Amino acid sequence: MSAAAAQAPAGIAEVGIEREEHFTTDGQQVHAARFGMWCWLLTELLLFAGLFLCALIIRIMHPASVTATTTHLKFWIGATNTAVLIVSSFTMSGAIELSRIGWQRGTVRFMLATAALGTLFLVLKGYEYYQDFDEHMMPFLHGRRYALAQDPSTILFTDLYYVTTGLHGLHLTTGVSILLVMAWMASRPGFLQRHQNRIEIFGLYWHFIDLVWIIVFPVLYVLNR
Amino acid sequence: MTPPPDSLIGTIETALREPHPGRITIDREPDYLHDEHTLWSWLTTTDHKRIGILYLLSITAFFIVGAFAAGLIRLSLVVPNGQIFSNDTYNKLFTIHGVVMIWFFLIPSIPATFGNFIMPIMIGAKDVAFPRLNRTSWYIFVSASLFTLFTVVAGGVDTGWTFYAPFSTTFSNTWVVPALIGVIVVGFSSILTGLNFIVTIHTMRAPGMTWFRMPIFVWTMYAVSLIFLLATPVITMALILLVMERVFHIGVFDPALGGDPVLFEHLFWFYSHPAVYIMVLPGMGVISEIVPVFSQKRLFGYRFVAYASIGLASLTFFVWGHHMFVNGESETSALVFSVLSFAVAVPSAVKVYNWTATIYKGTLRLDTPMLYAMGYIGLFVVGGLTGLFLATLAIDEHVHDTYFVVAHFHYIMVGGTALAFLGGLHYWWPKFTGRLYPEAWGRLSAFLIFIGFNATFAPQFVLGYLGMPRRYHNYPPEFQLLNILSSSGSLVLALGYVFPMVYLGWSLRYGAKAPPNPWNAKGLEWTTASPPPKHNFETPPTVDFPPYDYRRRETRV
Repeated sequence: MSAAAAQAPAGIAEVGIEREEHFTTDGQQVHAARFGMWCWLLTELLLFAGLFLCALIIRIMHPASVTATTTHLKFWIGATNTAVLIVSSFTMSGAIELSRIGWQRGTVRFMLATAALGTLFLVLKGYEYYQDFDEHMMPFLHGRRYALAQDPSTILFTDLYYVTTGLHGLHLTTGVSILLVMAWMASRPGFLQRHQNRIEIFGLYWHFIDLVWIIVFPVLYVLNR
Repeated sequence: MTPPPDSLIGTIETALREPHPGRITIDREPDYLHDEHTLWSWLTTTDHKRIGILYLLSITAFFIVGAFAAGLIRLSLVVPNGQIFSNDTYNKLFTIHGVVMIWFFLIPSIPATFGNFIMPIMIGAKDVAFPRLNRTSWYIFVSASLFTLFTVVAGGVDTGWTFYAPFSTTFSNTWVVPALIGVIVVGFSSILTGLNFIVTIHTMRAPGMTWFRMPIFVWTMYAVSLIFLLATPVITMALILLVMERVFHIGVFDPALGGDPVLFEHLFWFYSHPAVYIMVLPGMGVISEIVPVFSQKRLFGYRFVAYASIGLASLTFFVWGHHMFVNGESETSALVFSVLSFAVAVPSAVKVYNWTATIYKGTLRLDTPMLYAMGYIGLFVVGGLTGLFLATLAIDEHVHDTYFVVAHFHYIMVGGTALAFLGGLHYWWPKFTGRLYPEAWGRLSAFLIFIGFNATFAPQFVLGYLGMPRRYHNYPPEFQLLNILSSSGSLVLALGYVFPMVYLGWSLRYGAKAPPNPWNAKGLEWTTASPPPKHNFETPPTVDFPPYDYRRRETRV
């Protein structure tokens, strides 16, 4: 193997995994780890599904007041954020592809770019919350008058908007934190030899966060606008 | 001369490690119990067997708490006017009983203990796929359930284990929010266990262990894990919204704010009906292991039992509405849910008939596990058939929220799951500990539990049919006789529970040493030593035989 490493161009590391003792083959460990992440994503999808169900039922029960709320949501910030996350999925895929060929520096840069796009999403989201606050659209703040129609169901939908985007934001914050730690680890020598598959598995999670937003955006912002 | 204390400890340690000094021991890998000795080695273990034992100890502790609350409930119901406890105390008692028994005993009972310990050995794996995650899920379970236990015992919650809105959101003045947070966190422990099992069964099977060579217990673990994975997140969300509603008044379940309380019931039962199968399916798996062994016969219709497990796990997602026939459900959906609920009887009956057919013309040995298994079959049939009564719209209208329902689900939960748990505990006890339990005491307590159980819950069918509502402790005096009967039965039941705790504990020190295969059983777990070595098998097994391979070996002899 050392001969092969010597032949490889500079900056290209060997790629592999470090096998844990209870697995018989590398393939088994890789399969188990990837399959485990898919199971976790399935459970997460059902977690969000409960929320989407509530949102859709409230839309059916009170169509007029929900429409009144959705027109106050910042459509263009949401749309920009959708684009930001889709681009971040591309950079994440880039990081995975580069890690497969063992180009360490490229992998780390693509991971950092992904984390930057994720942070950009959170910044835009924060700005959107600030505008909501400015427009008196935060019914859970007791000291602050709620400016939209005083119909209780608009308040309900607004609240649900915060729960859904908040939960998604929590997932994204977790994702960015893991990504930064992993990028730091990947910048150390030897990470790709031992843990390349962690990047692939994290990639699944990242695409999932993107996918959830792609459902959140139409359910909250676009439908019946 | 008294020995100095440290040498005394040394003597005890030697005695624990080598209880029969002087006997020749073969030099081999130490078993999982004797590999390391410190408490720290148990708390930091990633060995699925040790984690299974940790779960066993913790759920036994929770079972004692839940059973104690049940005893107090039965005590209160001896008199008709509810003089023994105040109304508040009574409400808190049945909440403690429900929350502890369902979330901290029944749901983790068989999957987290036997599933953790036995399932990887059954498929010939060294460990579960994610051992550290497995340990994490135990820590989540223990910390969250101790927290919840503290809130329901010290603070008190009076909503019942169902947390129905709007009572839980608007009217209850008890510690609902901390209890909800505890239950939400415990859910993650179930999810992680289920995830671990699914991945283990998919990826960790030994060479030659094809899907249709897996024992039924593994099939039921797979089915249960699917429910853990798909249903638990939904109740997590529902309970999060409930917490939000209490804290921020967001009102998803409050009609005054534009929400709908029935929506909570839908989300709640979308998890909690499948949760019934989280409790029942593993019991079925245990019974499917015990019955062939003690009949020394191949399991009748193996493939159908396997399909029936997956069938139950799938069907159970489509019947949640039968909990809500009288709670504002449309006639059409009530009808559909009623028909679908009847369909659940088919895979259940497939299993019951197959167990019975396995027993038929078998070489029966009525040891303790088999007694529990036969008790299970009988009580499960009663519980299942009364379930069909309840799935019938017209009868449910009459007996909804009465003791009939209470008796029905206790026949399934106690007569089913708890009996299967005890049966499995006795069956695998030699494998867990390397010791045999005293058989006569085992049989005696199996009989006591069967008699005590029926005496406790059979009168409740009558009470419910006569119209005694559940969760009340004031009742008309004419119901007193049946209630006294039920309460005295619970004493016998309690005695039956105390016995195993005593003699199983006794057998740890004084029981005879168990051979690797005391029951002449055929599963992979019986091919390794009792207790198993740290990595389960001395040499990794290869499987070239079908499951429950009893007949073939007979003909070979």
